[in-house]
Amino acid sequence: MSGIGYKIKKGLLYLMLLLLALACILPFWLMIVNSTRSGVEITHSFSFIPGSSLVDNWKQLFGYVNLFRGLGNSLKVAIPATLCTAYFSAVTGYAMAMYKFKGNKLLFKIIIIFMMIPAQLSLIGFYNLCQKLHLVDTYIPLIVPAIASPGIVFFLRQYVQATLHKNLLEAARIDGASEFMIFHKIVLPIMAPGIATMSIGAFIGNWNAYLVPLILLNSPKKMTLPVMISTLNAATDLQKNQGAIYLGVAISVIPILIVFAFCSKYIISSITSGSVKE
Amino acid sequence: MKFRKLTALFLAGAMTLSLTACGGSTSDKSSTVAKEEPKAENATETQEAVAEEAADVSDAAVVGEEGDEKLVIWTLAKDLETFAEHYVETHDVQVETVVIEPADYATKVQTALNGGQKEPDIIVGEPQMLEDFYDAGYFEDLNQAPYNAQDYEGQIVDYVWKVGQDAEGIQRAISYQITPAGVYYRRDIAKEVFGTDDPEEIGKLFKDYATILDTAKTLKDKGYRIFASDAEINYFSGDSAWVVDGELNVNQARLDYMDLVVDLYQKDYTAYANQWSTPWYQAMAGEVPILTADIQSYADDSVNVWDAEQFAEATKEMEKTQVFAFGLPSWGVLTLRDNVGETSGNWGVCAGPAYGFGGGTFIGISALSEHKQAAWDFLKWVTLDEETAEWWIEKSEGDTVSLVSVLDQHKDDENPVYGNEKMYAFWLKQAEGIDYSKVTRYDKVINDAWGQACTAVKQGEKSKEEALGEFYDIIESTYPDITVNR
Repeated sequence: MSGIGYKIKKGLLYLMLLLLALACILPFWLMIVNSTRSGVEITHSFSFIPGSSLVDNWKQLFGYVNLFRGLGNSLKVAIPATLCTAYFSAVTGYAMAMYKFKGNKLLFKIIIIFMMIPAQLSLIGFYNLCQKLHLVDTYIPLIVPAIASPGIVFFLRQYVQATLHKNLLEAARIDGASEFMIFHKIVLPIMAPGIATMSIGAFIGNWNAYLVPLILLNSPKKMTLPVMISTLNAATDLQKNQGAIYLGVAISVIPILIVFAFCSKYIISSITSGSVKE
Repeated sequence: MKFRKLTALFLAGAMTLSLTACGGSTSDKSSTVAKEEPKAENATETQEAVAEEAADVSDAAVVGEEGDEKLVIWTLAKDLETFAEHYVETHDVQVETVVIEPADYATKVQTALNGGQKEPDIIVGEPQMLEDFYDAGYFEDLNQAPYNAQDYEGQIVDYVWKVGQDAEGIQRAISYQITPAGVYYRRDIAKEVFGTDDPEEIGKLFKDYATILDTAKTLKDKGYRIFASDAEINYFSGDSAWVVDGELNVNQARLDYMDLVVDLYQKDYTAYANQWSTPWYQAMAGEVPILTADIQSYADDSVNVWDAEQFAEATKEMEKTQVFAFGLPSWGVLTLRDNVGETSGNWGVCAGPAYGFGGGTFIGISALSEHKQAAWDFLKWVTLDEETAEWWIEKSEGDTVSLVSVLDQHKDDENPVYGNEKMYAFWLKQAEGIDYSKVTRYDKVINDAWGQACTAVKQGEKSKEEALGEFYDIIESTYPDITVNR
């Protein structure tokens, strides 16, 4: 750890990190800047300095869609879907990691295979199913399937294996706890950081989901945010709408930022935590 | 721990996901253009609407009295929503308009109707989607009773009427607008260079590709450029369909078009702007710098064509020119009006080397609809009602309707932006010459591939043979059914 070489290395490291941070922030900054500029300005040039059309864009945006309703709709879908994903994936992941039963390995392999199939492939079949069950234009087909998320089960299974020690479960069993009690009182808190980490990803995924809600939701008043904002592209005066589109997207990012702000401490602790230290 | 790496990876994944998702919804760049002034009437909606979705007719998309029959429209442009709002003022129905992004419209309609969805009563299509929609049987047969659409033939401009028919000649859809293409030119430059600004005379300067090149040369010698980009003749290109009897049809006219693009580019006849880029819009308002081929193709990035200030700075030293003409469909009237600035009044419109058209929304009734009579009433009101057409011309500030009688009534209307030219008469005449049979379902993909081939040749990346070979490869792999005769 001596002298000048170390400083240069560290300086370089900071420089790289700074560049990376800039590269990450830049699109967001541009989005925010563009949400304050008029459509003509946006198509004619690009700038880092905010413009003066925020109010016009706001009026334009709300003249077309009720963004707050879209926010509400998106929350109605994203929150239950995320909770479903989190809880059921945790149960499954825990069971697959900790219990020995026939077919465990086979099930795990099946899950891995299903991770690789893109969901879009089954879209038409899924739509027909929803149609037969009279679930088109409801939120149920957007929420319930979130129970089965192979990728997250896979992750949580690995997580349990890495952080949860069998001794803890044995201790609980000796004390007379039921299996479900063990899961809820002991395992769940230990898994919390991992679940939070995955929930952020799931929430963002649900929040930004576009294709499935587009296909399944028919009434404009039920549309989720991304579907709603995309209708601005359909409006005939596209050039004029550019600013409004940016504003809509900027507003739609806010909940993600909030979720991230609340959960970021879990992300950090998930990297450092564990129940039994070796 | 191995696990940390995994977590880090997943986090990185989650973040890129959110980034791309944001980028995806914003980066949809303008390939369509301004047509109509939007209206901001529904701003009255309040936040409390979020709380409950329960019975709520004040919603922007649903208009009309509660309790009346409800008509559902799935459309890809805002126009029909404006129509619907006006419709319910005089009719006892509720109309719900669902606006879907054009890029995803076909997916949505196909999935829903294949799944037996009865909800949409009115569905629409753009020319390149229509053939697929007809074949799949999404549109109701309008020739049968009680619609008897054939009785209305002749009231609508002919080519629009024909585009709305399927292969058997059965009427399936009708459009309320026409979109014939024309050449928009600067009258002041025309007077200076050619001694006249008469649309008839100027039209002769664009009558065929050889003449266009002569015109371009004359203009260049006087310090002007004929076009801002080399894609302005696109709407007029081709004299036959891309696919005839299952065979790819690359005839002499197509090859001539390619040569024209290459000549315009290589002989320095354009201002090297890309369509819809900053300098292209600026060229409508007057003086623009002459860019180089390298700037257009982004090989030379010293000039940022997307930033007005940087652009002005970087091109300060460059030679300036004025652009003579633009080739756009009739909705270009509004695009130019919004962008011409001080040259307003100095424009004119004349015929191009051929007849052509671009875009248009065709409206039909879903075959699965349960409110077909109400849907037909609405369709008739939108497309075949003179009062509606009059109202739409005013509301859209100059869209070109498809009703012949109304176009006739407006044939003496003079448009001040275009030197008081009688635009409606002109468009009607252009529309009469359009050969509707040129449109096929393959057009979008084939046109894109052809455009790529032209670009490759003009920039000297590939020889004509190589580019053609690659073009054939693309068509063959995209549409195995089409026979390609090389």
